[in-house]
Amino acid sequence: MIRNKNMKRASLVSAVIATGAMVLSTLPAQAATPGVTASEIKLGISSPLTGSAGLSYGKVPGAMKAYFNYINANGGVYGRKINLISRDDKYLPTLAATQTTNLVLKDNVFALVGALGTATHSKAYKAAALAKNNVPDLFINTGFSGFTDKTKYPTTFMVLPTYAMEAKVMAKVIKDNFPGQASFLLAQDDEFGSDGVAGFKTAGHTFSATPILYPQGSMTAARAEGALSTLAAAAPGKPVLVLFGTTDVTATILKAAEKLELTKKFTFLAGSVGADANTLLALGVKSTTVDGIVSASFMPDAKDLTDPYVKQFSDINTKYNKGITFDNYVLAAMNSAMLTVQALRAAGKDLTRAGVISAIENKGAKFASAGLVPLGYSPTSRIGYNGYWVSQLNAKGEGKPYGGKLVVYSTDSGAGAVEVSTFVRPTMPKNGIPTNS
Amino acid sequence: MKNLKLTKGLVALSTAALIAAFTVAVPTVARAADDCQETTILSGIKVVDIEKCTGTDMNKSKYEIIMPAKFNGTLMVYSHGIRYNVNLPAIPVVAPKGELINYAPEVAPSEEVAAALLAQGFALGGAGVQNQGWNLEEAVEAAFQVITIARDKYPKVSKVVAWGNSLGGLASQALAEQMPGAVDAVAPMCIADSAQSEITYAGDFLWGMKQFFNPAIKGTNYSAGQAGYVEMLTDLGTVLTTLGELSAAIAANPSAPVWPATSTVPAALKAIPVRSAVLLLGLISGVPTQSKTYDASSGPAGASETTFGLVISPPLAVLENGAQAAVLAVIANYDMEIRYGGVVFDNSKTDYTKRLGDDADVYAAALTGKSGIAGMLGYLSALNPAAPRVTANAAAVAKMSNIYQLQGKIEVPTIQLAATADHIAPAGAAQYLKNQYEASVDGNISKSGKLLTIWNKPADEYTTFSAAGSPVTPTVVTNGTQHCNYTTSQILAIAKLAASAAKTGKLPSNTAVKAAIKNEPNLFVDPNFSAPLLKFRQ
Repeated sequence: MIRNKNMKRASLVSAVIATGAMVLSTLPAQAATPGVTASEIKLGISSPLTGSAGLSYGKVPGAMKAYFNYINANGGVYGRKINLISRDDKYLPTLAATQTTNLVLKDNVFALVGALGTATHSKAYKAAALAKNNVPDLFINTGFSGFTDKTKYPTTFMVLPTYAMEAKVMAKVIKDNFPGQASFLLAQDDEFGSDGVAGFKTAGHTFSATPILYPQGSMTAARAEGALSTLAAAAPGKPVLVLFGTTDVTATILKAAEKLELTKKFTFLAGSVGADANTLLALGVKSTTVDGIVSASFMPDAKDLTDPYVKQFSDINTKYNKGITFDNYVLAAMNSAMLTVQALRAAGKDLTRAGVISAIENKGAKFASAGLVPLGYSPTSRIGYNGYWVSQLNAKGEGKPYGGKLVVYSTDSGAGAVEVSTFVRPTMPKNGIPTNS
Repeated sequence: MKNLKLTKGLVALSTAALIAAFTVAVPTVARAADDCQETTILSGIKVVDIEKCTGTDMNKSKYEIIMPAKFNGTLMVYSHGIRYNVNLPAIPVVAPKGELINYAPEVAPSEEVAAALLAQGFALGGAGVQNQGWNLEEAVEAAFQVITIARDKYPKVSKVVAWGNSLGGLASQALAEQMPGAVDAVAPMCIADSAQSEITYAGDFLWGMKQFFNPAIKGTNYSAGQAGYVEMLTDLGTVLTTLGELSAAIAANPSAPVWPATSTVPAALKAIPVRSAVLLLGLISGVPTQSKTYDASSGPAGASETTFGLVISPPLAVLENGAQAAVLAVIANYDMEIRYGGVVFDNSKTDYTKRLGDDADVYAAALTGKSGIAGMLGYLSALNPAAPRVTANAAAVAKMSNIYQLQGKIEVPTIQLAATADHIAPAGAAQYLKNQYEASVDGNISKSGKLLTIWNKPADEYTTFSAAGSPVTPTVVTNGTQHCNYTTSQILAIAKLAASAAKTGKLPSNTAVKAAIKNEPNLFVDPNFSAPLLKFRQ
């Protein structure tokens, strides 16, 4: 406390108090709707364009832009053209926080779309105060179940199913198709892997050995060889080896298996995040190793040009994304862009941030999309796709329905059962241009 | 990534060398008459005529008031940041040439700023309190005395701006809250949080260092008298030696650096790269993961670019920042224990798992995964007798807490400047003031529109690498990092905004603020930007 020591306070206090009451607020005025003009809707994406993750995910912003440009060339959204601003976060949390903040504060975007990664986006969400700014955070590319928490992430909508769902479906695949075989799990030692471990546990699946967990970025060839040798020696027959990590790690493990001549020892069951055939082949995995890998997916295979969505997106890619090979990343990115257009349209001509969020909550489950499983949006659910189908890669890297018949499973992130879904995918909008009709 | 050149000053020290014949100084400043001299200063090439008055106030604090011949009517009263309250022998990093307690008054953050403001017609004033260290009460009083003396001496003073750095920023704000009629505007810069928040921040990091890396660190509960002084100096040596070993270990093998030889943690824990342990301590304490050298966003070109940014840069940033936090903890604990009569740091009930929070997900890779996190937090658990917690002296804490605590009761225009990667007064201190003010407005205690927060952030990416891929320590400290590391133009922008607010009684308009910071790419204003509070507040 201030001590009373001969201070000459009284005159000062009285002299200045009078000025205290005359101040008015000068807090910055809020624009009506940030990032929206009569002719433009500004969207932003923070994702890896460079660095090791850029190899796989670097195509995402370009593919989204290509689709938006296609929409712009066909009238835009109620006459407004979509302008996607892309910033490179290298898949680093701090840089993702910086770039997301830049998108919101400097670029003044209306909404974020397609943010990638759990560590990156959880830090970015908080740093950029997306909740406080009510910035729609659309169709994020992570399956971390934490993002389903509407209280914590009130503006976020996932597009991926949760990793827990994926694990539950995988558990059913093992149970139905590989009875009696040993099973092992190699998983990333973070929320990605722990969601997966929790999903297997919920499904009642017990692995034949304690799951091997590795921190992101730590799976070296030597470590992979050590793990494979140990697991190969631990079980007779042809055990199922679940790979719950990113595609670069899947490649490291498969190449280790090649070196140890163990490719036929295991049935490899790779998660959707870690089974992109093009990337595996590009990273040097032999086509004979890729042949036979079982994987879970919620999208059609990018090589399946008989699928109308795939064909349409492939055509758009050819025209608006020249020089870029059409693959699963491009397909997924364009699909998210299509969802975004529908969300913007569903919010109406008088576009607001709150309007978009409300539109997805109330109408998002019926949006047209390439996904072969249902969308789960509702006023209480922010989860995108609610299930998987099981595919098997061939030597060309094509994903075909496992067992020759497409079976779609749906489930939830909790204790709900894994059930065969009767979901019928909405017909693709004419020419891939949603009208929300 | 070989041959990392880490914090150069963190060299091993001979503890004995530190224990020199320095004693805690007892100031004997006598009340002195004002001494005024007319002189000139140079501001760039401009010669400015001034009158400089120095003296000692009624509380024996030294003061200085500088009045330019062409006075514009506004007096800016500056409160300096915390200074050591002990004499220090030459200690690398801390006091390279040795340091005696500094009682000198300060009128501005730098001579360059002072000259520029004087050239623009501002009068400047400031004090140097007679009892240094964490002395908020005297700092407030001293600032008030400067105002009083200046107004008596120069009746033409029509407006007063209180401003200050760090503890001085806190003092300026505390002055304005307690005596709103005394000032017309306030500009706290790199404002410090309360004594308890700050000692918790630095103390947690130091306590963690002791548990993980070197149990020889005493950290708290220093003895009375000369013995305590020796213990404090010994601690400084031990801390710096330990930090030096950590730096050397990471430099030798960034991927899997080994733990210091002094560490007594179980072998299983030592299987975790020690950089993960450094990072964990930073995260549970709230040490920024960006430092002057490391941005946690860059890596050397090539295969390890992402890996460096993901798992190596953040712990190196914490190490660079934490070195000074740990030194602060030693000196501040020593100071506060003497000042308040007992141990003030307390982590007897701290839940470090809760402290880590979402950072467990964000930094999972750098923390060696969930398994690594569980192992390290398990060791720091209150249930582990090998890592004993510290219980404070309740009477000392009560005394410390009896100092004025900010209420956010803002009645005059207040413009604060805070850096997002300040490692001594983290940005959360400014956020706390913001929160307190908003609560005060919500409670109809304060009127809205009185507080403007200007944030200072580092460039998006700033770590540079040599051709061999080694990070390069910048010659100019990265703006937005380090403590109160603002450029002259940034400080002048804030000063001018505050002076303008003092004249009008209102915060400057958005246009005026934008114009003032338009050439400052590292400054930004966003009402919805929110910095994490200090861990003590969370």
